[in-house]
Amino acid sequence: MAEETGEYETREEYEMSILDRISDRLIDGFASFIGLFKKDWRRRNQSRIKEWKLMAYAVNRSPPTLLGLIIVIVYIFIGIFGPYLAPWPYDFFPVNYNYSTQLAPPGSTYFLNVTQLQNGYIIHYTTYIHYMLGSDTYGRDILSILLSGARTALVLDIFIILIGPTLGIILGLISGYYGGAVDETIMRITDMFLAFPGLILAIALSAVLPGRIQNFLNAHVWAQTFVLKLFALHPRDVNNLGKLLAVFVALVIVWWPGYARVTRGSTLTEKENLYVEAARAIGLPTRTILFRHILPNIIGPILVMITMDFGGIILTEAGLSFLGLGAVPPIPDWGNLINQGSQQFPQAWWLVAFPGLVIVTVVLGWNLLGDGLRDILDPRTRRSLEFKLKKKSKGGEASA
Amino acid sequence: MAGLGKFLIRRGLTFIPTLIGVTLIVFIIAYVIPANPVRAWAGGEKASQAAIEMIKKEYHLDQPWYDQYWFLVKGLFTNSLLDPLNQEPVFNNIGNRFIVTFQLALFAFFFVILIGLPLGIISALKRNSATDMTLRIIALIFISTPIYVIAYLFIWLFFIHWNATTLAGIPPGPPHTITHIPVIDDILTLDWSNFVQQVERFWLPGFTLGIAAAGVLMRFTRNSFLEAYSRDSTLFLKAKGVPKSRLYRHVLKNALVPVITILALQFGGLLAGTPITETIFNLPGIGLYALQAIMYLDFPALIGVTFLYAIVFVTANLIADILYVIIDPRVRL
Repeated sequence: MAEETGEYETREEYEMSILDRISDRLIDGFASFIGLFKKDWRRRNQSRIKEWKLMAYAVNRSPPTLLGLIIVIVYIFIGIFGPYLAPWPYDFFPVNYNYSTQLAPPGSTYFLNVTQLQNGYIIHYTTYIHYMLGSDTYGRDILSILLSGARTALVLDIFIILIGPTLGIILGLISGYYGGAVDETIMRITDMFLAFPGLILAIALSAVLPGRIQNFLNAHVWAQTFVLKLFALHPRDVNNLGKLLAVFVALVIVWWPGYARVTRGSTLTEKENLYVEAARAIGLPTRTILFRHILPNIIGPILVMITMDFGGIILTEAGLSFLGLGAVPPIPDWGNLINQGSQQFPQAWWLVAFPGLVIVTVVLGWNLLGDGLRDILDPRTRRSLEFKLKKKSKGGEASA
Repeated sequence: MAGLGKFLIRRGLTFIPTLIGVTLIVFIIAYVIPANPVRAWAGGEKASQAAIEMIKKEYHLDQPWYDQYWFLVKGLFTNSLLDPLNQEPVFNNIGNRFIVTFQLALFAFFFVILIGLPLGIISALKRNSATDMTLRIIALIFISTPIYVIAYLFIWLFFIHWNATTLAGIPPGPPHTITHIPVIDDILTLDWSNFVQQVERFWLPGFTLGIAAAGVLMRFTRNSFLEAYSRDSTLFLKAKGVPKSRLYRHVLKNALVPVITILALQFGGLLAGTPITETIFNLPGIGLYALQAIMYLDFPALIGVTFLYAIVFVTANLIADILYVIIDPRVRL
């Protein structure tokens, strides 16, 4: 067949599905986007782009990974736009003078008396609120809090991952690469932190830190504004930020040692390779060797760990809020809803059920994605995945 | 076993700097408490100045930090550090509560092994089938579900609906104590009525606590089994024509080596992972004690508890290492 068409290509053709075409388009688009800034990037990274496409095919053929990916994308989308999609603001405490709107069951509708200051006049009017998922102990709409709370979870998630694991990876690289006294010092400190169960250390830290952080925030207005914007909070909640950020600091402190140890281990074996020696011989700076040569080769398992830890951080953060240590009302938070529900269980089951379901779904999504990534990034299992793809061989011995 | 002794000594020596570091971290944590804990201990806003001064002197809070640190470390090792809330040595308070936590962890451990091992092995035996897929997703759900959600689900099911457990109080231990852990004493002294009482109270919290660890164990067992299965020795046995049941027995033996070591780590994790479970099920263990200590800014208690947790964790690591060395002599080199 190849001889007939006249061109001999040892190229493997996969049976493409719609998803494959979409992922191809996305990757091509991304590549040309980078090509806008770096000339020649596409040509020089052809094989890398092809590798990415193969990875995407593998993802497309594993339903659990796809499910995880979809959940994660939805979570990130709601995390960004949730506060604006919410039917009511998170700090809207509905009032009705005749009956209580607190702990309204799901699906109920309540009339509200609203008092507003408008053009210098106080006006009263009646409106209604439909509690699709019920209301919490303050009468707030749970759906709105779940949507706004996604922002809290996402921001904490991303910033903890950005700081904790990065710190751990850098320390691990340095420790593994230099060895000797540096290694010994860093690893003994890591051991000390690993000697604590994560939850206990996080509990202790998030209990003692809020005061200090609040003082810092009160002294620095720019930090206040930044954090408020980040979490999409109203400026009047500024005094509740200390507890929220205490959880953040606590989790960063808890989250780096694991990465330091794992990175050190893989660096130790990776640095024995000849290419590292070669890089050193031609006089590349250590920084380049560490981050451009060693890190890309050991990043696979670390990426899987990071993906799963996105879920782990949500779990731990919600656990701390459940114990009453993290975000406090009116700051919207999933774990805090369950904390409120724990005192009303089982009468107000919706306070536990809906936030619980949301947390389980999101964490499961990250775990499914991480599990899939593990298979895809591991060269052994990935090849076997690729062989499973139905191939139409084009050009004689292409499949060999 | 000469190598083992050497290994133990070497491993034990790294134990010491870690523990010193742990006390330092705990001290720093206690040191950053901004509020004035002494006023809270002396009885709140109405506390007299004299009482505050007295407590300050007692806990060396008017001294420089190194003196405070030395006071705490000395207190920890001689058990002379008093809990300001009930004037008992901290470790006496912890001792009573540790029994509850240990028993809880034992029950959880039982469920972890009962669920995790068989399901993991089944998952590996039927790898890449529908059963395997289902079991893997179940394991992931176990891992992804927050413990408090599971707890409330189970309370609703087993307590409110089926009334299959009791959730109030702690049944007293048997009259004869040998190990001070009620369940073990019951079995040793054949005291079945007390045994049933203990099980009725503890099985649900234990089950709840064990679910996540069971998911982890399922995944670990499956991977370990598959890893052992893909070894050359298995290929050789297959080529030799050994029947499947015997082949699997060989594979299982190899696969269980890492599983046993991770079990030790998991038991340490279960002991440390109890604060939420104890809060929900109202068990007076050390997890609850730690939370109360935080709430009342009772930092001698907090330091005692965190120190204990660190010791438990480090010991679990040590036991895992030792088990590994005993089972797999190659590590000893």
